[in-house]
Amino acid sequence: MAVRLEIALKPHLFDAEGFELCRKIRDYFGWHVEEARVLRVIMLETGLSAEELEAVRTEIFTNPVSQVSSFQPLATAFDFQWAIWVGYRPGVRDTAGSVALEAIADYLRRPLSRHDAAYTSKVFLLQRCSLDRSQVETIARELLANDIIQQWRVFARHDWNPDEGIGIILPKVELRHTPTVETIAIESDEELKALSDARHLALNPQDIPVIRRYFLRPEVLRERALVGLNRPTDVELEAISQARSDHCNHNTFRGLFLYKDLDSGQETVVNNLFKTCIEAPTLALQAQKDWVVSVLWDNAGAARFDEDHLYVITGETHNSPSTMEAYGGALTGIVGVYRDPMGTGKGSRLIAGLYGYCVGPRAYAGPLRPHLHPRRLLDGVVEGVRDGGNKHGVPTVFGNLFHHPSYLGKCLVFVAAIGLMPRTIGGEPSEHKKPNPGDIIIMAGGRVGKDGIHGVTASSESYSEHTPAGHVQIGDPYTQKKMHDFLLEARDEGLITFITDNGGGGLSSSIGESAHLAGGARVALDRVPLKYEGLDVWEIWVSESQERMTVAVRPENLDRFMELAALHEVECTAIGHYEATGKLHLTYHGKTCAYLDLSFFREDFPQWQFEAHWRSPTSRGLTEPVMSEPTAYGRILTELLGSPNLCSREWIHRQYDHEVQGTSVIKFLVGRRRDVPNDAAVLRPVLTSRRGLAVTQALHPTYGQIDTYHMVEASIDECVRRLLAVGGLLDEMGGVDNFCWPSIQYDSKQNPDGRYKAAQLVRANWALRDMCLAYGIPLLSGKDSMYVDGHLPGLYGERHKVSGLPTMLFTATSIVEDIEQCLTMDLKMPEDWVYVLGTTRHELGGSEYYEKFGYVGLSVPKADPEKFIPLYRAVEAAVRKGLLASCRAVGRGGLAVHGALMAIAGELGMDWDLDAVPVEGHLSTATVLFSESLGRFLVTVAPEHREAFESHFRGFPLGCLGKVCERPVWTVRDASGRVVLEEPVEALGKAWRFEGAAGPLGEW
Amino acid sequence: MTEVRALVLTGFGLNCDWETAHVLALAGARAERVHLNQLISKAKSLADYHILVIGGGFSWADEHGAGVILAMRLKYRLGEALLSFIEKGGLVLGICNGFQVLVNTGLLPGFETGRLSRQVALINNDCGRFRDQWVHCVFETASPCVFTRGLKAMDLPVRHGEGKFFAEPEVLERLESTHQVVLRYALADGRPAGGAFPENPNGSLHDIAGICDPTGRVLGLMPHPEAFHHWTNHPDWTWEKERCRRRGLPRPREGAGVQLFRNAVDYVRNQGAL
Repeated sequence: MAVRLEIALKPHLFDAEGFELCRKIRDYFGWHVEEARVLRVIMLETGLSAEELEAVRTEIFTNPVSQVSSFQPLATAFDFQWAIWVGYRPGVRDTAGSVALEAIADYLRRPLSRHDAAYTSKVFLLQRCSLDRSQVETIARELLANDIIQQWRVFARHDWNPDEGIGIILPKVELRHTPTVETIAIESDEELKALSDARHLALNPQDIPVIRRYFLRPEVLRERALVGLNRPTDVELEAISQARSDHCNHNTFRGLFLYKDLDSGQETVVNNLFKTCIEAPTLALQAQKDWVVSVLWDNAGAARFDEDHLYVITGETHNSPSTMEAYGGALTGIVGVYRDPMGTGKGSRLIAGLYGYCVGPRAYAGPLRPHLHPRRLLDGVVEGVRDGGNKHGVPTVFGNLFHHPSYLGKCLVFVAAIGLMPRTIGGEPSEHKKPNPGDIIIMAGGRVGKDGIHGVTASSESYSEHTPAGHVQIGDPYTQKKMHDFLLEARDEGLITFITDNGGGGLSSSIGESAHLAGGARVALDRVPLKYEGLDVWEIWVSESQERMTVAVRPENLDRFMELAALHEVECTAIGHYEATGKLHLTYHGKTCAYLDLSFFREDFPQWQFEAHWRSPTSRGLTEPVMSEPTAYGRILTELLGSPNLCSREWIHRQYDHEVQGTSVIKFLVGRRRDVPNDAAVLRPVLTSRRGLAVTQALHPTYGQIDTYHMVEASIDECVRRLLAVGGLLDEMGGVDNFCWPSIQYDSKQNPDGRYKAAQLVRANWALRDMCLAYGIPLLSGKDSMYVDGHLPGLYGERHKVSGLPTMLFTATSIVEDIEQCLTMDLKMPEDWVYVLGTTRHELGGSEYYEKFGYVGLSVPKADPEKFIPLYRAVEAAVRKGLLASCRAVGRGGLAVHGALMAIAGELGMDWDLDAVPVEGHLSTATVLFSESLGRFLVTVAPEHREAFESHFRGFPLGCLGKVCERPVWTVRDASGRVVLEEPVEALGKAWRFEGAAGPLGEW
Repeated sequence: MTEVRALVLTGFGLNCDWETAHVLALAGARAERVHLNQLISKAKSLADYHILVIGGGFSWADEHGAGVILAMRLKYRLGEALLSFIEKGGLVLGICNGFQVLVNTGLLPGFETGRLSRQVALINNDCGRFRDQWVHCVFETASPCVFTRGLKAMDLPVRHGEGKFFAEPEVLERLESTHQVVLRYALADGRPAGGAFPENPNGSLHDIAGICDPTGRVLGLMPHPEAFHHWTNHPDWTWEKERCRRRGLPRPREGAGVQLFRNAVDYVRNQGAL
C-alpha cells in the first residue's frame, strides 16, 4: 500500500529553507513573498503494517523537539496561498529515499521486500503573497525544479483538497521491456553508417570501414561461429563506439593538424598534440626528476610527497551535464573526479578537491535563452560541488569563478582531486596495479541503471511518466564515501591487485581497458546488479551509473574482500574474471553477446585530421584602443574591485568545508576578515610531518582572444608565482592541464571559423610544451573537453551558435619543505616596506582595465622564463630565509587591484610612490597601475629585514614602493609627486565585497 | 602508567576520524578508529575503552535530519552498552555530527539518568546554508564538564548546515540552571554573541555551541576542537608568526583544541578507572 508521510518544522520555529526561498524569489524575480514553509514528503510503497508505519513515523522520521508529521496533508493547517510540489522523475537517484528504506529495515530488524520503495519530495508553501498562477509556475520552473530530473505541480489554496493534498505520486521506473541482443547488418559502409546514426552510436565515419573489415575477416568469422556469433551485436558496436569516442580516446589531441600561418604562408604538420606537447616534455622531465613517480597512463598522476607517501592528482570537467542540470551535473562531476584518485595505483585516500566555474554573466538579460539562466546555473553548480565535497569528507581547498558571455552556450565546470597513498603496500610499490589472468572482476558500489547512456543528447526527447531520466544524474557522495573507506581497508590488507573507476563508458571502459593489461576478460552481464529490470544488455555494459569501481581480486582473497564489504555495507558483486585469451568475452545468461579481439582496439584506426589556419592578432585587425589617460583612477579601481571577475567570492567558498581532515595550513581565504583569496592553499596531508603540499590554479581566457599561446603562458607563469608566494619549491612543481575548447572541425556552415579555433588549440599546446619545459613542470595529469558550443534559442524562433572562449585551466602543485615558512598575501604590520619585484610593461591587452571600457587590445602579457626564473629562485630563497612578511603574485587587474587586495586583507593603509616601479619604456600612470605583465610579485618586508632583503635581490628589477601604515588609507603618488589615488581601505573593501550588482531579472 | 584508550567511531559517512585520532594521540591516548558495525557485531566492545568520540561528518548523508539515522542505530543496537559505558565512568564526546547524534539519541542533555529522551534539537542554520568559519568560543566555568576544565576561551572552526541549537524555554532554563551549557559563541571581547551573525554562525538560542550531561562526562559541541591541533590551523597564524618574531616571543606549537582532549585523558588517568 502507498502512503504519504509529510513532515514540517513546528509552526513556531523559524524556517531557514523557506526564508532562503523568499530571498531567492526576491533576487531572481523581484517578487515579494512574506513567508514560505517547506514540507518534506516521503511516499512509501511498502508492505508495512499500520502499526509499523506509525512506529517509523515517530521513531525515525519525526524529531519530537522540532517537527510535526502526519500521513494526512499538513499544509491544510498552514495559511498558504500557493503550494508547489517538487519531486524527482523516475530513475533519478534519490539518496534520501534509499536512506529511508535502509533506516526502516534497520529499525524493524528485517529486510524489506525488493518491491518496497520510498520516494522523497518537497512541498513549498508560499504565504502572504500576491502572485498569480503564472508567476508561481515561473518560480517552480525557474527556481525550484528542473524539468530534466524533476516534476512539479502547483496548487492554489482555493482548489486545495484538504483530504488528499498533493495526492500520491510514485515515480517508479517500469520499463516493461525484455532485454535483447540484436545483430547489426554490415553489408556496406553506408548501411552501418545509417544504423549507427539511428542507434545514436556516433561511430566516426572514418572508423566504419575498419570496423567492417574486422568483422568480415575469415578467421574472425570462424572464431565467432564457435561461440555462436556471426554479424556484430549491438553490445559489440556500443563497446567499440565507447572505446573510440573522443571522450575516451582523445582523438582530437591525437589528431593530425595541418597548421598554416596565413600571414607568412608557412605550413607545419603537427602530428599528435598529446604526444608532442604533453607526453614528450613530461617524459623528458620525469627522467630528470625522481619525484615524478607515475604519469600519463593511470586515472591520476602520482608524485612523491615524502619518503613514505605519494600524492596523486587529476582534473576533470563536467560541462554538458552541468549546463542541463547544474546541481546534479556539478555534484556528479566532483564525486566522479574523486573516483580517479581512488582508482589510481592500488587506491589512494582523498585529501583535497578544487573547483572552477566559467559561466555567463550573472545579470544576463539579453535575448538568448539558455536552458538555465547563468545565475541559477551558478547557484546550482556551487551547491552541487558543496554537497559532493562536504559529504565526501574531503576539504574543498581552492577554486575559481570566471564570467563571460561566451559561456552562455555551455558552462564549464572544472573539478580536481588530490589523493595520498603510502609509498608501498605489502612491500610493493603502491602505484603499480595489474590484473592477472584468473583474478575475479568485482563491481563495487552502486547499481546499474539507464544513467548516462549516450550522454546528454537525449535532453530534448519527450518523457513518459515512467521513463527514467537517465542522461542527467545526481551523484551520491554518501554511497561513495562508504566505498572509499572500505576500499582503503581492502587495499591495506593487500586484497586489491587492480582498481579503476567506472565513469565515462561504465564497465565498457573500466573492464575494456583493464582487459588489455591482463590479456583478456570474461564477464557475465546478467550478474551485474541493476537498479530496475528491463535494461538491454548493451545498456548494462555502457551505462555510466555513478559511485562504482571495478576491482580485481585474486580468488583466494575473495572471501575476505566480501567480508570487509559486508562490514562497510558496500554492495560488491563478482561479475567475471580476467583470462589470457586475448578476447573480450561477454555473456548474458550463458549466451555470448560479445567476442572481440583485444588487438582489434589497437587496429589502425584512421587518425582524425584538422586544418588549422592562423593569422596574427595584427592581421586579424586587433589594435590598441585610442584612449587618453583618465583622471579618476580611484573610481576606476573601486569599480574594478566590484566587477564580476574580481569581486569577493566568499559566498561560494564559505559553503565549502575546506578544513575537514585537519590538514589546513594556508586557507584559500585569508586576512583579518578571512575573505580575500590567497595565492595558493597549503595542506599538511601527513599530520605528523611539517612537510606541506601547496596547490593553486589559474586561467586567462580573455588573453586567448589575442593569442592562445600567451593565454597558456600567462596561466602557467601565474601558477608558478602563486606557488612560490606561499613557500613552494620551483623544482618540485607538477601541473595539470585542463582544456575546454569549442569544436575545431571546419564546416563551412556549422563551424565556419573551425580552422582558426584549431590553430588556437595548436598554439595553446605549443605554449604548454614550451612553458613546462622552461619551468620544469611535468604534467601529472590532464584532460581535454571539446565541443564547448551551444545552440541557443533567440526571440524569434531562431537559434544561435554560441562557442565558449578557448579555455585552459592550469592546476599546479608544489612541495613545501616546512609549513612554518609559509606566507600569506595580507599586509602584516605598519612600517613594513612594500616592494614590487619584476618589470612592468605596457601589457593591457585582454586586461580587466581594457575590458571595463569594452576593448580587447593587442598588447597581451608575455612570459620570458629565461629572465623570470633567476628572480623566482631568489624569491624561493628569500622565503626560506624568512625575509618576507607577505607575498602576492600580481595577476588580473595589475598592481592596483593586487595592492588593494593586500590592504583590504590586512586592514592597513599604504603610501606608494609609483616612480619606483621598474618599467620597460615610458608608461602612463594607468598602465603602471593596471597592466597585467607577468613575472611580478608584491611583497612586504619588516624594517629590520630591509637591508638583507635589498642585498638578496640586488641586480633584479626591484622597486621600493613605500610603507605600510596604520591609517587605513591607500595613497599613491605618480612620478611628479602628485597624488593619483587616495582611497580609504574600508571603501575599497566595501566595493570589493559588494556581491554582484545584479538586480532581479523579472520573468527573464 | 596504564594507557588511556579512545574509540573514534567510523563508517556510514562519518569523517574527521583521522584527525580526531591524531589529536587523541597528541593528548596521550591510544586512539583506535572503529567501524560502527564492529561494535554492533560485538567484534569490538565499548567496555574496552575509556573515551568514545563520535566525530564530524555526514552520517547517512544527513538525510532525514543530521545525526538522526545514526542515533537510531546506536539507540536500538547499542543503547544498553552505551548507557552502561557512561554509567561506569566512560567519557563521550560528540563533535558536530556527533553532537547531532547525541541529542537525537537523548544522551544529551540526559536530564534523567538511564533514560533516553529527546529534549533539544540542532536544526538548519538561520543563514540557510552550510558554513565553514572560525568562531570565538567562551566556556562556562561553572559547568560540570570534565573536557573543558580550566578552559576560558578558544577560537575554533564550525563547519555545518544544521547547528542551530533549539529547545523550548523550560528546557533552556533547566540547562542554564544546571550549568549544562558548556560553551557559547562569543564576540572578540569574550561577551556572548547575543545572536549576532556571523559571531553566532547559526542562530543558536542563548548562543549555545555545546552542552554536557549532568555528570559532565558526556559533551556535545558544534565547533571542531580536533581541527585546531596545530597552531598553523588558525586562520591568523601567519600574522601571529610575524608578531611573535618581532616581539621576540616563541612561536606557539600546539593548537588550543588539543587541551580539550588532554583534559579527557587526564580525567581518565586521575579517576584511576584504568
